[in-house]
Amino acid sequence: MTAMIEARHLAKQVATSEGQLVILKDISLSIDAAEAVAIVGVSGSGKSTLLGLMAGLDSASAGDMILDGQNLSTMDEEERAQLRGRSVGFVFQSFQLLPSLTALENVMLPIELKNDRDARRKAATLLQRVGLESRLQHYPNQLSGGEQQRVAIARAFASEAKILFADEPTGNLDAATGAKVIDLLFSLNAEFGTTLVLVTHDDRLAQRCGRLVRLVAGEITEDSVVDGVGDGVGDAAHV
Amino acid sequence: MSEHASRAAVSTATASPTTLMRVALRLLWRDWRGGELRLLLLAMVMAVTSVSGIALFTDRLERALLQESATMLAADRVLSGRQMPPREWLDEAARQGLATAEVQAFASMVFSDQANLLVAAKAVSEAYPLRGDLRVADQPFGAAYTDNAGPARGEVWVESRVLPGLGLDIGDTLYLGDGEFVVSRVLVQEPDRQQGGMMDNAGPRVLMNLDDVPATNIIQPGSRVTYRYLFAGELVVLDVFADWVREQSDGGFRLRDVRDESQEVSDALARGESFLLLGSLFAVLLAGIAIALTARRYSERHFDYAAILKTLGCTSNQISAIYFGILLSLLLIAVVVGSVLGWLVHEGILLLLQSVIPIALPEASFTPFWLGALTAFICLFAFAMPPLLALKHTSPLRVLRKDLVAAPLSTSLPYIFGIAGALVLILWYSQDVLISVILVGAVAGVALVLSAMSYLLLRTGSAAGMRAGSAWMLAMSAVRRRRRQSVLQVLVFSLTIMSLLTLALLRTDLINDWQAQLPEDTPNHFMMNISDSQVAGMQSFLQDNEVDANPFYPMVAAGLLTVNGAPAPHPWDDDDDETGRSTMTERAGAEQPDDATSDATTETAADGSARPQRVENRQVTWTAQLPPDNDVVAGSWWGDDSRPGRVSVEQDYAERIGVSLGDELVFRVNEQEITAVVDNMRTVRWDNMQPNFFFIFSPGTLDHLGATYLSTLLLEGEDKLLLNDLLRQYPTIVVLEVDALIEQIQSIIAQVSSAIELIAALVLVAGALVLLSCVNATLDERFRENAILRTLGAGRKLIMTSLLIEFAFIGLLAGVIATIGAELSLYYLQSEVFQQTFSLHYWVWIAGPLAGTVIIATLGFTATRKVVNSSPLAVLRQLSA
Repeated sequence: MTAMIEARHLAKQVATSEGQLVILKDISLSIDAAEAVAIVGVSGSGKSTLLGLMAGLDSASAGDMILDGQNLSTMDEEERAQLRGRSVGFVFQSFQLLPSLTALENVMLPIELKNDRDARRKAATLLQRVGLESRLQHYPNQLSGGEQQRVAIARAFASEAKILFADEPTGNLDAATGAKVIDLLFSLNAEFGTTLVLVTHDDRLAQRCGRLVRLVAGEITEDSVVDGVGDGVGDAAHV
Repeated sequence: MSEHASRAAVSTATASPTTLMRVALRLLWRDWRGGELRLLLLAMVMAVTSVSGIALFTDRLERALLQESATMLAADRVLSGRQMPPREWLDEAARQGLATAEVQAFASMVFSDQANLLVAAKAVSEAYPLRGDLRVADQPFGAAYTDNAGPARGEVWVESRVLPGLGLDIGDTLYLGDGEFVVSRVLVQEPDRQQGGMMDNAGPRVLMNLDDVPATNIIQPGSRVTYRYLFAGELVVLDVFADWVREQSDGGFRLRDVRDESQEVSDALARGESFLLLGSLFAVLLAGIAIALTARRYSERHFDYAAILKTLGCTSNQISAIYFGILLSLLLIAVVVGSVLGWLVHEGILLLLQSVIPIALPEASFTPFWLGALTAFICLFAFAMPPLLALKHTSPLRVLRKDLVAAPLSTSLPYIFGIAGALVLILWYSQDVLISVILVGAVAGVALVLSAMSYLLLRTGSAAGMRAGSAWMLAMSAVRRRRRQSVLQVLVFSLTIMSLLTLALLRTDLINDWQAQLPEDTPNHFMMNISDSQVAGMQSFLQDNEVDANPFYPMVAAGLLTVNGAPAPHPWDDDDDETGRSTMTERAGAEQPDDATSDATTETAADGSARPQRVENRQVTWTAQLPPDNDVVAGSWWGDDSRPGRVSVEQDYAERIGVSLGDELVFRVNEQEITAVVDNMRTVRWDNMQPNFFFIFSPGTLDHLGATYLSTLLLEGEDKLLLNDLLRQYPTIVVLEVDALIEQIQSIIAQVSSAIELIAALVLVAGALVLLSCVNATLDERFRENAILRTLGAGRKLIMTSLLIEFAFIGLLAGVIATIGAELSLYYLQSEVFQQTFSLHYWVWIAGPLAGTVIIATLGFTATRKVVNSSPLAVLRQLSA
């Protein structure tokens, strides 16, 4: 099976007034197509930075990042943006919907950006799929947190992305709502055969993925298969 | 996959321009509904409205005034001379497609069976007048109507005064030379009555048909006649014809257009136009600042949008395209709405001014709308584009890290764009590089000084903590914590208040100045050619008839020969702009109808050869009393204890001929050489329609040289009939009537004053927009801070009081700074642009700071009150979303 995401000796450091701050060091990681991987770690461990690098939202200080067969390190922001539009979907902790657009328009946006004339129908179908058929014309501030996240999930799948990055998708939701949203996310992920990279500090949520990568102070300390889930890629391995 | 192949794959399925435009329009529509774009659009509409409205008004008014001025000549161009110009010139004009007419003016005695009267006779061809109307009545002082046919052969039209003067009625016979004429109409108004000079002003008018002139035998060789050829037509053709005439002419004729006419009218117009220009420029620049502020806030609120769009695959260029689309749509809406409003504004002004604009205005041209659109375009690209285009630099990482100020707006770029835009606008409006650079430099300098001042004023105490104990401390700490923003606010507020104050003061001073220029009791008649022996008699005549007498000035023509022994330079030789100021006095006293006289004398040059020197004769006077509206600016006035041999020179004239205090001047007066020493310099108010002189001598210098006297009179309505008695008693004096000219100037002043009021109101609206945008710019941060304060237990009252204090304090600072700035700019504008004398406006030193405090406090408090009125939870939730 070919790797959908591959990090090779990835490092990220930023300059601060107290000198260089190392956020990630020598990360090497390979994620196959349709695999679901949880990246866990405490706050400040570098999970979100790693997600940013993998999704091409940021560029690495060193190393190579291969996404869908293309080396992000050699691409400029314009090319990375186009690649994101084609291959990547996102679900964020703070939903990141455009507040001035309705639920339907938010979901239509990535479809339209691909010049798909069927955007309205496709978006409506997706919103129906996430149970929001009665909320199409509502603005984000007229929706509950759970509903907003469901719109965000519909939008993520609307672009027919091959890879879905989710950053603490339940972080702003209560436990019950969060559970429902996660159920939805996983069921759509299975349905669309998407590769899922989920960043969380919630171990229980991480357990639902087939594989768990743990970051401590910018280094991978654990890369293991979660029992009873996933397709058995690799055995539990401590790095 | 090879690198090449991967890049090719990447470039597929990108959003088309149509898609991007659709997204832009949707965002525009939603943001509009959400109220985010209202201020931005309002500011742009404001810019278009003020420019197109004012341009429409001035465009039409200017064209109307030009037409009206043309009626003062009864033509577009007039060729005049003491000889009859060659008839081929009339034929050539007609060949080039110009309309032509012919006029001969001469002074003559006319007779009835009972009496005789000196009149200003004027014979006109059938096409006369080419511009303007002849107004006649069937009875003296009867209802006037227009009749441009002119008197038929054998008939004359006469001014009312002629009928009682000769004891005639309409239909009676009048004798002129060998001719016999039926008086068929009363002449109420002729367009070119005020052509100046003795021929037209020797007495009341008798208008006759040109074809009747030969039969009168009145014009003999040596008769003093002014011949005029009148031309009207397309400007281009007129210019071509003018060049042709100049080639043919040997200098004995003079070709004039309206611009050569009345200095007083063109001065009033020029100042009014300068003000309108300045006013609309202020309005546009203020709207520009409002656009910049609102666009900046809009773009700050759209950082997240840009980041999200980038995660969805939008490239930087596509983001630019989306926001470019939004701006372009805004521009289109602003131009359409602004043009309509501009049209309404100008219609409104016209409605207001209906009574003072008695003439039908020509149709508006399209130019004002282009001006409005182009102004909006420049404003948009200079002021709104930079912050919005900065959105493309937003890092998509912002979706993960909210704290990331991903695309800090370049601090210098918007300013560079703004200043460049302002420069382009000013340059375009003023068409003057120097003024533009000075103005932009001055504004930038003022902004810099103001920033420094407000920064220093705000730099009291530390910025640590919120000091939430008292409203006062809370307010002060808020001002200091947001020092950068506070400085910007004080700067914008003070620039706005400064513009408003400057304009308001300038408007008041300008209008007061004008009213002082031609007060209600401005004399409307010049009396001249009065001999020494007639003065006392005339004074008692006026007294007996209860007419206020004005001073009688002795007047004599004097030509300046030498200055300190060297030949006197000709004062207007080096200056193409100055056509030679011909004052009312010069026009009144000149033998020639057109100009101050000049003649030639011969002097021997250093090499022994004789060459002619042109000597300009000026009407001069002598008096012990300094005339009104004259101010001595160097030396001192001699008063009653003067010695002979002193002369006072008008300051500008002295500069032109290079004369200073103590110089010895030699004049030729009535074939005698007179020496006088320059004792003082004066400034003179040329536009007051009073006798004014370049040279005034001390009594005893010229007294023996046979002067005639000059005085002025105010006579209105039927009082004018007194002139008949006066002229009967003193048939040799000449009375010049200038009521029409005064009326015209007063009407122009009234029109321009009203336009000025309107401009001031437009600038006020633009200023209010700026203030509102400036307050709104800090709204988000205030929401957050005050929500936190309230969740921590701060009461509504505390927060509201602190908001009020904060804005009042900023307003007070802005008011003080604005007052200083306004007085400084007024000093510059009045002394350099409007040629007025500057004096401090004491009341402004109280009103400025007070207005700043009250306006800013009210505006700021009203705009931010919702900060306190919305629930803290809602605010925090919205801000964290």
